[in-house]
Amino acid sequence: MTLYLRKSKSLNQLKTSLRNEPYLFINIFFAGVILLIIAYSGIFSPDKDNYPVVCIHQKLTGQPCFSCGLSHSFSLIVRGRISEAYQWNIYGMRVFLFFASQLILRIVFSLFYLKYPDTRKQLILVDCIGSGIIFLFAFWPFIASIFTGILNV
Amino acid sequence: MEQSQNDTGQNYQGQNNSGQNLGVAALITAIITFVLAVIPCVGLIAIIPGIIAIILASVGLSQAARINAPRGVLVAGLIIAIIASMISLSQVFVAIKIAQKADKWPEGIQNVINDVQDNVVKEIQDANVSIKVESDGNKVEINTNSDKKDREQKLEDLEGVKTQKIDTLPKKNDTLPKKK
Repeated sequence: MTLYLRKSKSLNQLKTSLRNEPYLFINIFFAGVILLIIAYSGIFSPDKDNYPVVCIHQKLTGQPCFSCGLSHSFSLIVRGRISEAYQWNIYGMRVFLFFASQLILRIVFSLFYLKYPDTRKQLILVDCIGSGIIFLFAFWPFIASIFTGILNV
Repeated sequence: MEQSQNDTGQNYQGQNNSGQNLGVAALITAIITFVLAVIPCVGLIAIIPGIIAIILASVGLSQAARINAPRGVLVAGLIIAIIASMISLSQVFVAIKIAQKADKWPEGIQNVINDVQDNVVKEIQDANVSIKVESDGNKVEINTNSDKKDREQKLEDLEGVKTQKIDTLPKKNDTLPKKK
């Protein structure tokens, strides 16, 4: 009975903190989204080629884009076939590493946020800057391709 | 009176929470839109969640302005959503331009084929042609480097009659000869 009461109390505390702290809610939400991406890569097989998401750019223009083969690449990375993943999309690994790092960062920052309430503002600032830098590093080829496309057109 | 004040306070609290919730929703949608917008495969459709995020942030901002609530998350969501939508729009623009160019490529290829065809025909017409005719031990050889008309004239001179084109395929209106 005491254990049940303690559990329900901690659940209530978590609910209250989630309601009052949007940062925690956002972290948990993004962790869930990243887990869904990993699950998507695991469920759909590169051998069967049964991916539901198709390249809209290729459909519209008839030309493959920089991110074509990203789903295949992710699936192969999840299955440990790294060299094949590079063949499908050369940037697949760095994008996958971005998502993996974000999953870890969401958990770590949430724990720090709960453990050290005095440094919350600094923590959010470090999170924003750090995630921004990792994002730019991971997605730079795609961003550069957009700029190149605009300049060439 | 106190009851009424309490009601108003609860109402403000509810609106404040609503504004904050809208801000969180707008920020999450904006970040997802931003990540989608920079991926060329799906960047074209990122404009849809981008617009949703802008609407959410705008509604949240108007609510926050009414009750003087904090607007940090809402402003962040709005800025990220606008940047993401602009990136997505630029992708749409680039894709449309590429698609327009792609429509012109077949014409270009056709022009190249026509040029090559014309060059080949011209080369054949201007080529050195050697015609040998052998009949009952008599040999006639025509060597010419002149054009097609001259060659036809020489052949006519040799044959004494006007040359006729012999088509191996019957014309559309021609009927096949009936078997007897």
